[in-house]
Amino acid sequence: MAEAFAVDIEGVHKNFGGLRALDGVNLHIKTGEIYGLLGPNGAGKTTLIRAIVGLVAPDAGTVTVLGRRMPDVDNLRNVGYMTQQAALYPGLSVEENVQFFAAINGAEEEDVTEALKLVRLDDRRKSVVATLSGGMRQRCSLACALVHKPKLLLLDEPTVGVDPQLRVQFWDDFRRMAASGTTIIVSSHVMDEAERCQRLGLIQYGRVLAEGSPNEVRALAGTSNLEEAFLKLAGAKAS
Amino acid sequence: MSGHRVAAITRRLLQQFRRDRRTLALLFVAPLVILGLLGYLIRGSTSSPAVGIANEDQGQLGAMFASALERSSLITATTIQASDGDAKLKDGSLVAYIVFPADFSSRAQAGTIAPELHLEGSQPGTSAPVLQALQQALTSVAATGPVHFEPQVHYLYGGPGFDTLDYFGAAFIGFVVFFLVFVITIVAFLNERSQGTLERLMASPLRRGEIVMGYMLGFTVLALIQSAEVLVFSLAVLKVHNQGNVILIFAIEALMALTAVNLGIFLSMFARTEFQAVQFIPLVIVPQVLLSGILFPVSTEPKPLQVVSDVLPLTYAVNGLRDVMVKGADLTWSSLQLDAGVVAGFCVVLIVAGVATLRRRIA
Repeated sequence: MAEAFAVDIEGVHKNFGGLRALDGVNLHIKTGEIYGLLGPNGAGKTTLIRAIVGLVAPDAGTVTVLGRRMPDVDNLRNVGYMTQQAALYPGLSVEENVQFFAAINGAEEEDVTEALKLVRLDDRRKSVVATLSGGMRQRCSLACALVHKPKLLLLDEPTVGVDPQLRVQFWDDFRRMAASGTTIIVSSHVMDEAERCQRLGLIQYGRVLAEGSPNEVRALAGTSNLEEAFLKLAGAKAS
Repeated sequence: MSGHRVAAITRRLLQQFRRDRRTLALLFVAPLVILGLLGYLIRGSTSSPAVGIANEDQGQLGAMFASALERSSLITATTIQASDGDAKLKDGSLVAYIVFPADFSSRAQAGTIAPELHLEGSQPGTSAPVLQALQQALTSVAATGPVHFEPQVHYLYGGPGFDTLDYFGAAFIGFVVFFLVFVITIVAFLNERSQGTLERLMASPLRRGEIVMGYMLGFTVLALIQSAEVLVFSLAVLKVHNQGNVILIFAIEALMALTAVNLGIFLSMFARTEFQAVQFIPLVIVPQVLLSGILFPVSTEPKPLQVVSDVLPLTYAVNGLRDVMVKGADLTWSSLQLDAGVVAGFCVVLIVAGVATLRRRIA
């Protein structure tokens, strides 16, 4: 059964001490779409992603992922999560890292080969991660997140440190995965990436300022580019 | 609990160590260096304290004592002038000198044997062999008279060859394994946290118990190899006195290693960096070294400290290892049942504590 929404977030609040990280967030992300979480550093993007995978317990509100209320450990086999820093085992080879994440998520050896091909690291599979460049680590980290073919893929600033050429390839891959039914949530503070998303949520101070396709967001702000739109919408809310 | 996922964690851990030569050296070379050094320190010494002897006795007895002292293996005796003695103590060439005064023999006949003993005194450890040598000399001089002094010595445990290394060795086998396994576990688990992979594990279907179990199995494999190595080295190379069953010693070591693994996992939850983790060493390890009976018997400690000793896992492991190795205890001994039971109990409590404190959620 395909749920209408891959991720359904209702009235989520989260405070860390005195800091209001999420302040009544409502988001409805459709199955098979590429959704961009856009906002400056410290806007609450990572906290929101962590709330989606159940690593952050909301103070109020509900998070439903693929039709199941979070936290739900079993549901996590359907979720792939690529953290902001390339969280890998530096002493292991590329292949060993991906094999490990495959094993704990119940994926097979063929999936490992497929994931390595997808991120174009199959020729470096025996290289130890500590010897790789930042961009390659990022690709290895992505392979670890998608090796088990999750229905929902969460990517926290996935293209930081990735060269422009590879970034284009990444986005082609994301689109292909989305077309085959995978829902992808990408956080970014790079506006040019936002253009590639089907829908966007502009986030600041833990609140969703505006939501819609890039065109809708521009129209809403009455500007010709997303950067200006963001600044205008952020300014309007702040005042 | 999925065996497949637990095995994945264990396999990954061992893969990591395979490439980490430095940590492997700490696990498998360091214990041999520590124990080898301890053995050499205790048994390798060939020099005995230098003692000067000044015989001014006008009778026979002083000379008999002097020659008995020269034959003693506990000290290196040289003949000196009594007037030079203090200078030689000061310049460090002697740790003591013994004077047999002019009236030594005549006073002895009147019933008082009164050699003068001058000790350097700043190092208590060197005084004991001098006193012991003097007593032996007395015994051997007495044996030349009509009355023979021949005590028949019987040992319940140990024996005439039982030395300091035999006493410390049994405890050190347990301690070395405990210390190194603890340090490596706490740092490895903390790495998982600081490099961000723990967050990834928490966002996967892995159960907390599976993570702790996977870690425990991986480190246990390493700890068992280390325990076996330490044991073989102690018995075959250092020839530490052993009266008991080798399998039983290994079992106690293994139990201690398991406790160390779980203590490391548990305490890593309370540290944010490797630097903070290392701060647990003076907090957790040093009190155990001082109070677990490795150096000083628990029974001679002040009462309040005995209370502390009684709640340290190492106290029971050390006691158990000594009982087996020195006294030849087996599992029919109630004291050994208690020791093994308490160490096993600590292990179980720490596993539960580790699983309970490993939080999936950040807040």
